[in-house]
Amino acid sequence: MKSELLRLNDYNRREFMLNAARTTLGVSILSGLGARMAAAEGASNSGPGTPGFGKAKRVIYLWMGGGMTHIDTFDPKTGATKGFNDPVKAKGDSIQYLGGYLPKLAEVSDKLAIIRSMSSKTGVHESGTYIMKTGYEPRGTIVHPVMGVWATHFLGRIKDKTLPDSVIVNSGSSYPGSGFFPPAMSPIPISNPESGLQNISPTASDVQFNKRVSLMNEFDSSFRKKFQTEDVKAYTEFYDETLKLMKSEDLKAFDLSQESTDTREKYGRNNFGQGCLLARRLVENGVRFVEVQMGGWDMHNTIDNAMTNNGNTLDTSFSALIQDLESKGLLDSTLIVLGSEFGRTPDINENDGRDHYPLAYSTVFAGAGVKGGYAYGSTDKEGRRPADKQCSPQDFMATVGHAMGLPVDEVVMSPSNRPFTVGDKGVPVTDIFA
Amino acid sequence: MKTKTTLLAGIFAAGLCMTASAEDMRIWTNAQGRQVNASFVRLEGENIILKTAEGVQHSFPLAVLSAEDQAYAKTLKVEQPAFLANATVAQAAARVDQLVANGLIRANPDRAKKNLPPIKSFNPALSDEQFVRRVYLDIAGRIPNHDEVVAFQKSSGADKRSRLIDQLLDSDGYKTHLFNYLSEMLRVKDNFEQDNVRGTPYIGWLKEQVAKNRPWNEMVYDMMTATGKMWDKKPDGSYNGAAGYLLRDAGMPLDNLANTLTVFLGTDVACAQCHDHPFADWTQKQFYEMAAFFGATTTRLGGQDFAKGDRGKVLMDEIEKMIAANPSLDIRRLRNGLQNYIGANRSAIKDRPMNTLKLPHDYKYKDGKPGDPVEPKFVTWSSADKNNPAYKQSKKNEEKLRESFASWMTHPQNPRFAMAIANRMWKRAFGVGVVDPVTNLDNPDEDGSNPELIKHLASEMVRVKFDLKQFMRIVYNTRAYQSEATTENIPMGEKYYFQGPMLRRMSAEQAWDSYMTLVLGQPDQFKAPLQDLYAKSIDLNLDTVDAKTVLIKYDAYRKIQQKENELMGGNLDMAGGDMMMDGDSKKGGSKAAESTPSDGPGKFLTYEGMRLLRSAELPQPAPGGHFLTDFGQSPRNLIDGSTKIGNVPQVLMMMNGKAQKMLTSPDSLVFRTMEKVRDPSEKVETMFLSIMSRRPTMNEKDIAKRVLAQGEDGYANMIWALINTREFMFIQ
Repeated sequence: MKSELLRLNDYNRREFMLNAARTTLGVSILSGLGARMAAAEGASNSGPGTPGFGKAKRVIYLWMGGGMTHIDTFDPKTGATKGFNDPVKAKGDSIQYLGGYLPKLAEVSDKLAIIRSMSSKTGVHESGTYIMKTGYEPRGTIVHPVMGVWATHFLGRIKDKTLPDSVIVNSGSSYPGSGFFPPAMSPIPISNPESGLQNISPTASDVQFNKRVSLMNEFDSSFRKKFQTEDVKAYTEFYDETLKLMKSEDLKAFDLSQESTDTREKYGRNNFGQGCLLARRLVENGVRFVEVQMGGWDMHNTIDNAMTNNGNTLDTSFSALIQDLESKGLLDSTLIVLGSEFGRTPDINENDGRDHYPLAYSTVFAGAGVKGGYAYGSTDKEGRRPADKQCSPQDFMATVGHAMGLPVDEVVMSPSNRPFTVGDKGVPVTDIFA
Repeated sequence: MKTKTTLLAGIFAAGLCMTASAEDMRIWTNAQGRQVNASFVRLEGENIILKTAEGVQHSFPLAVLSAEDQAYAKTLKVEQPAFLANATVAQAAARVDQLVANGLIRANPDRAKKNLPPIKSFNPALSDEQFVRRVYLDIAGRIPNHDEVVAFQKSSGADKRSRLIDQLLDSDGYKTHLFNYLSEMLRVKDNFEQDNVRGTPYIGWLKEQVAKNRPWNEMVYDMMTATGKMWDKKPDGSYNGAAGYLLRDAGMPLDNLANTLTVFLGTDVACAQCHDHPFADWTQKQFYEMAAFFGATTTRLGGQDFAKGDRGKVLMDEIEKMIAANPSLDIRRLRNGLQNYIGANRSAIKDRPMNTLKLPHDYKYKDGKPGDPVEPKFVTWSSADKNNPAYKQSKKNEEKLRESFASWMTHPQNPRFAMAIANRMWKRAFGVGVVDPVTNLDNPDEDGSNPELIKHLASEMVRVKFDLKQFMRIVYNTRAYQSEATTENIPMGEKYYFQGPMLRRMSAEQAWDSYMTLVLGQPDQFKAPLQDLYAKSIDLNLDTVDAKTVLIKYDAYRKIQQKENELMGGNLDMAGGDMMMDGDSKKGGSKAAESTPSDGPGKFLTYEGMRLLRSAELPQPAPGGHFLTDFGQSPRNLIDGSTKIGNVPQVLMMMNGKAQKMLTSPDSLVFRTMEKVRDPSEKVETMFLSIMSRRPTMNEKDIAKRVLAQGEDGYANMIWALINTREFMFIQ
């Protein structure tokens, strides 16, 4: 059932399968009036025809793990909280400045829309990460799906491809993954972009390999008959999916050696840079949602050193990605999003670092019909609080869902019969779209 | 256990040899006059279960036996369940079983609504084959090797199961498996994400506590109250690793407290850190009152914390002068490293004279103002808690606030402490807690599936004085545990009533450690080397150390990695012998017998760069791209952060990875064990016992015959196939 659910290609088939799923998986979908009612008081600003809706055929989510300092990057200040580096001039009257560590991004800032008025409630890494990837606060009783999985749920499996719908680069873990949706929808983690999909070739000849696989199924048949649990079935589906992938032409999407040395250098020879390049190759080949992780943002100590390193890496790779996507004609249909679990304290601490600060931080958008050189919202003079147009993690997630053309008002019931929406009733910031 | 009647023909044909010595053996005759020598196990519904001489149990319809034997079987008393042998544990287990059994009917109203048949009793009892594999995985954290399976099947006596449980609880495997569980729960890491600060002494301490079977309340007390550096040596020669618990979250005392309350008390207060908890009664004020117990504690030393102020700068000035005098050294290349090296010794816990915790600057409730000082106060779960002796703690001495907190939290009468660990230990055995998630015990009566059971388990934990091993001994001896895994699907979040354990996928650690068993036979004899080298070389007494000593020690510190690398070595074909590898002999012989025995930890084997050590002996957590990572090992950022979800890279690794290649190579221990027997059918049996911990079925024997007739690579193909089965990966 689950793998069929994943292979759905067109709307009618999806409708059919969801009806079937309603009875078997316990997932039920409220569509039409019922669903709209839930969002009625919010008077939806999303849906076909609204700015930016469905423009993002693909998304690359750049994840700044550890809590990216907003003041030293996308929301620079000049007063008491400036930090160790002067801002650099950006393109456009709206953005005006970027942090001094990001000169290359300043050059392409006419492609960026920055939400400077992000604000959230949690200063804890784990819950901050969770909410910025799922739109929900973590709960002990349920796991929520990440955005790529929501997209698979609403839009179906990508067409004619054996590649996964979602990939996470630079992580060994896909958590929170598929959440309450079937595990087979989980993004595929790639620990290291250089090695891509490891172990993709059999250690035996094709003939022998096929023999082994059918032998496995034979030996395992009585066990699978006895234990028809979702967990066991999901594993069998992973084997089926993996076997298909092994034989697929699409695999070269994972192979960075097909890129010129020049291109590889341009992105930066580090995991994040090469991860961005891999993301470009993947979206080019149809993968819908790629998250690229970058660590090292938890700058409690000596932030100037830390920013010199991390800022440079981000600056190089992010700007290369924008330029590369544009030159390939993919920027109009690809949304690049940059996010982090929270910002960092405006005041420099005793260790010359900045600490966790959820009250104000920034997220960045580029491509897919995003207004260039545009700052949405702002923080006060010292970067302590949003001064206007405060934006929550839920609004942020809803914005990404909106760009992908997902029905952010539609209520989806989990197998445990609890109602959920893309971005937990957040309101998409359509103002950042042209 | 197979219930197919085809099997019956098999045992009736093969079972003719008599074993006169086994007193309960007798000849059974079926309706066709064929005979088998077997002992009676029990009747189960319409079926009879017999055990043949080699220890295998067979179940088949009673009706196939001759009328005479049918009548005889009905007169026999059921074999006493094995767990009755040990009276005290057996009584305790029986009491637990009674409560579980009482609770089973609670499932039925809900099941009736879903048209599911009612649960009448436990799932069928485990067969010996299922039992031996499950207890090795659950207690020792790995599958049994070939010889261990055979030894158990050959052992006899009504108490053979409880004897194996006892044996495994005393094994090294128990220690490593419990360490894995605790380090996942406590988010134990090698890398503390502070320059040069490694969790190594913390890891060593935790392993030591588990090895000593230190009572849980004492371990937790130590973690809450430790003072100083992790690598301070204590009078008994051990390291002060307990300090790692607070230092793990240095600079994040509120996060650390939220995790403390969640892990040890099942109180999910993370939300209350920033605002009043939306669903529970916890307020932000209460959270801060709890945090105030740590309000005088620092996890990074500053000038005020040293007797003569922080000498770091003075030392660096002297070092710079010394280095300047040596033309072969370049201070620019060494400065940062040296500063970090000295700086690591500021990673220490100290209680200052004053609790300085204040309400946050954005505090918005009426019971306080931003910046107000916060007095320490314990949370309560009910009005009765006021009179609870756990709450009688002094809060006067601010330097001893942590001790008050620890005494309250680990007190036997703390309303949640014993319950939290009991519920977790129960989940380890059954795959789901009586109250699940185990991180939220706020309302055990409503949220759990069996309120009497959870209360009883908590009181048992207190009765055994927080002896986790003894507690688990009781659980493993229950009929509930020794039942077959539930075959039906239990949707996530649905209450579970413990008719038997859930079917569970192996954890990443169990899977890797089982691979290691297939490769090494006895994987516990290989230990990571030089675990205290880090602690020795990082330690500086900043009050007294001089510049020259810093330089000498820094040099030693930088050589750790080099030393570790030198110790790598040994080939696959050396595995399975009962001696340790010696680094010098790594290229030497091709037979285990030729390697030099040595008797300490510190030597291990590698295969294509993989260290052939149990997961507890590898870096915590394993580096990205490792088997363990792909299999869902916790990155150790979140409490209980592992996943058991499959993914494509994992399946690729199972099918095409190095570990797979290692097991199917002719050097592998599976092959070499098979070499010991000649006959192909015996080889197949050995292969099944090694990998699946059971003998092949008739059908599987037929498949094997067919495969072997097709060519040389038949055995490798079958090994590959078996390891890739769901049966291998899931714990029945």
